[in-house]
Amino acid sequence: MTIEIVLMWVALTFYTAATALYTFGVIFVRDKMTRWALWASAAGLAFQVTSLGMRWARIGHGPYLGFYEVANALVLCVVVFFVIVAWRNPRLSAAGIAVLPVAVVLLGGAMLSSKAEVEVTAKLASYWLLIHVTFANLAFGAFAVSFGCAIAYVIRQRSKSGKWAKRLSKLPAQEVLENQTVRFVLVGFLFWAIMIATGAIWANEAWGSYWSWDPIETWSLIVWIIYAVYLHLRFTMRWHGERLAWYAIIAMPMALFALIGIPLAFNTPHAGIGGFGKDL
Amino acid sequence: MIRRVWRTIIGFLRSPGLATWLLAIVGTWSALATIVPQGAATDPVVAAWASTHPLVESVVSVVGLHQAFTSLVFTVCALGLALSTALCAWQRTRVALGKARTLRQAAVADERALSEGHHLEIPCDPALSGPEVLSVASATLERLGIRTKRRGDLLASVSSSWSVWGSPVFHWALLVLIVALFAGNLMRSEGLMGVAVGQTRPDAAASYGVFHVGPLHDWVGVHRSIRVDALDPAYVTDGIDRGPTPTVTVLDGSGNVIKTQLVYPNMTLKTGSLTIYPATFGLSAALTLVSASGAESGQAFQLVDFSDKTSDGTIPVVPLSVRDKSGNVLLEIDVSVPLDRTAGGFAERMPTNPAARVLVISPDGTTALDSILSPGEGVALPSGDTLRLDEVGYYARLQVVDDWSIPLLYVGLIVAMVGLTMAVVTRQQIVLAGVVEGPEGVKLAMTVRLWRNASSSRSEIESELTRALGGVQEGSTT
Repeated sequence: MTIEIVLMWVALTFYTAATALYTFGVIFVRDKMTRWALWASAAGLAFQVTSLGMRWARIGHGPYLGFYEVANALVLCVVVFFVIVAWRNPRLSAAGIAVLPVAVVLLGGAMLSSKAEVEVTAKLASYWLLIHVTFANLAFGAFAVSFGCAIAYVIRQRSKSGKWAKRLSKLPAQEVLENQTVRFVLVGFLFWAIMIATGAIWANEAWGSYWSWDPIETWSLIVWIIYAVYLHLRFTMRWHGERLAWYAIIAMPMALFALIGIPLAFNTPHAGIGGFGKDL
Repeated sequence: MIRRVWRTIIGFLRSPGLATWLLAIVGTWSALATIVPQGAATDPVVAAWASTHPLVESVVSVVGLHQAFTSLVFTVCALGLALSTALCAWQRTRVALGKARTLRQAAVADERALSEGHHLEIPCDPALSGPEVLSVASATLERLGIRTKRRGDLLASVSSSWSVWGSPVFHWALLVLIVALFAGNLMRSEGLMGVAVGQTRPDAAASYGVFHVGPLHDWVGVHRSIRVDALDPAYVTDGIDRGPTPTVTVLDGSGNVIKTQLVYPNMTLKTGSLTIYPATFGLSAALTLVSASGAESGQAFQLVDFSDKTSDGTIPVVPLSVRDKSGNVLLEIDVSVPLDRTAGGFAERMPTNPAARVLVISPDGTTALDSILSPGEGVALPSGDTLRLDEVGYYARLQVVDDWSIPLLYVGLIVAMVGLTMAVVTRQQIVLAGVVEGPEGVKLAMTVRLWRNASSSRSEIESELTRALGGVQEGSTT
């Protein structure tokens, strides 16, 4: 167990370093630093995957029970999505300024929380849990990258002239950033929908009711509606530019609140992804 | 006049603005509902909240936020959303039909069609021949994520005509889901039924304790009964304690077995529209009333729940009563099962020596009898009859749901996900390019329609091709 924890601290250190490198790389226009930042992110990912793999092998189930595992899995998906995007389009790696801090804060929170194993109860013993939680993580990963691209868009848009214009000239064009934001919102919207659908099916199997307006169910629907409004604004009402970017920026914390905040804030029998140690 | 009003109404209902506002209202309403306690005004939690927030409560109670998801506001918004979704789906279907037709035409378009109607003309370096122009254009487009195929003297990247159906399919499926949810709730019955091991109860309203039934639920068509054959209070399989696990059998009107199985979380019994789930368990006392002449009135099951508030650890779910022919209560009989004691209270399982405590209360409230019976023993009641304890066993409280809409909802969800995946993943685009020669030299004529999920934009395609083909940009023709 100690090795797992040490590896996770190493991963967190790499993510923190990547955040710093992205920030300095963009501010001081150092391409080399942003390249190192990407390598640091990938290295952190390798350590995190190794640590989670060891834990999985030791306790016999994936990272979806308890705050430590839930937050870890969310971070994993955020960084995987981001590394793939940045690898394919290096100019987009500057979005790491916004994406990596999300990973650092979440993983930092996980490292300070209890790392005790949560027992698989009868209600949790279902393959629907794996599907449900996997899509929740994937959706959050996609929303986090859309959040990063939207922040990059706003920064780029507000720095058209002056000393920052040159420094930020290496960021992709606004059109590219907006397209990437929309694409990741679309992907996240799809994954979130699958998360809700599989959750409803699982609830029917485990609780005998597919929907009970439990705060977590309700907030998952609210987040889906928030992004549905975003897509309606983009595709049918032709919103674009900075106000659409701000919408994506505000929407992502809502998703995080639904996944992390609600299970902590509400005492609910459906205590959310992983149950956070509560008896389901 | 009527037609104009009708069109105005339809136009309003299918407007993206209305759909967006309705979504926003439903989202905000739902968020508020998670802050305000949900339940009837008599619910202790709701009443306590109301007394501590008198000012807010005056608004909350008027708008019905305590029962947010059955309130008028929510129902009206949901119906509006359903109507808007239907019209939106219809409109998207019409758009998709048009796009599919355009895609089919583009799939067989030739040079002549392109030269007669195109969107862009990109000037080329005069040194480049026609095939060289196409080759450079193909490589440039590929770099932009658009893979083209050579079709004669044309470069073509035309999406399949089915690619446009994702969004309409998704919206139609959403409509089916909303309708199925609404209709399902009208026809659904859901309740808790206590069934002792060995007992068979008809699936009828009288068999339920807590019970919710939709106004359109059809009891007449239900001819089945539910039996509990056994109950394991701590069933373990695959190394996981599944909790109290009954073996449940569903019988048809003639007593034939429809289905029988162990029932535990993630292993619900499903047959037709019926779903049975184990809610909890308790103990039961099988009792027989024997008259002075020795005639037995038939076996009754007294179900008892575990309770740490009573002296023996159990409490009857519904006390038995003996009535005269007019229905007047002659005696109330409280039966409980004394549990084994532990250091912290009571052991919530079958006691080591099963017995039943019989407390007979007269109509005036006085205790007429207080006796503990072992199985096979009887006690004389003040009425002259004898009450005999046959056995003590377990009972299962089953959550029984009769809802035909669940399979339909599952199908709707699957179709919606398929439609959404198509809408998110598939590209909808037409890119046709061919060389046209005129007095100003060689040009690349292009038809570019990028409807959805395109990897590039028209302006980027134009600027990249202009640069690659070495001509001087003259701008687009449209």
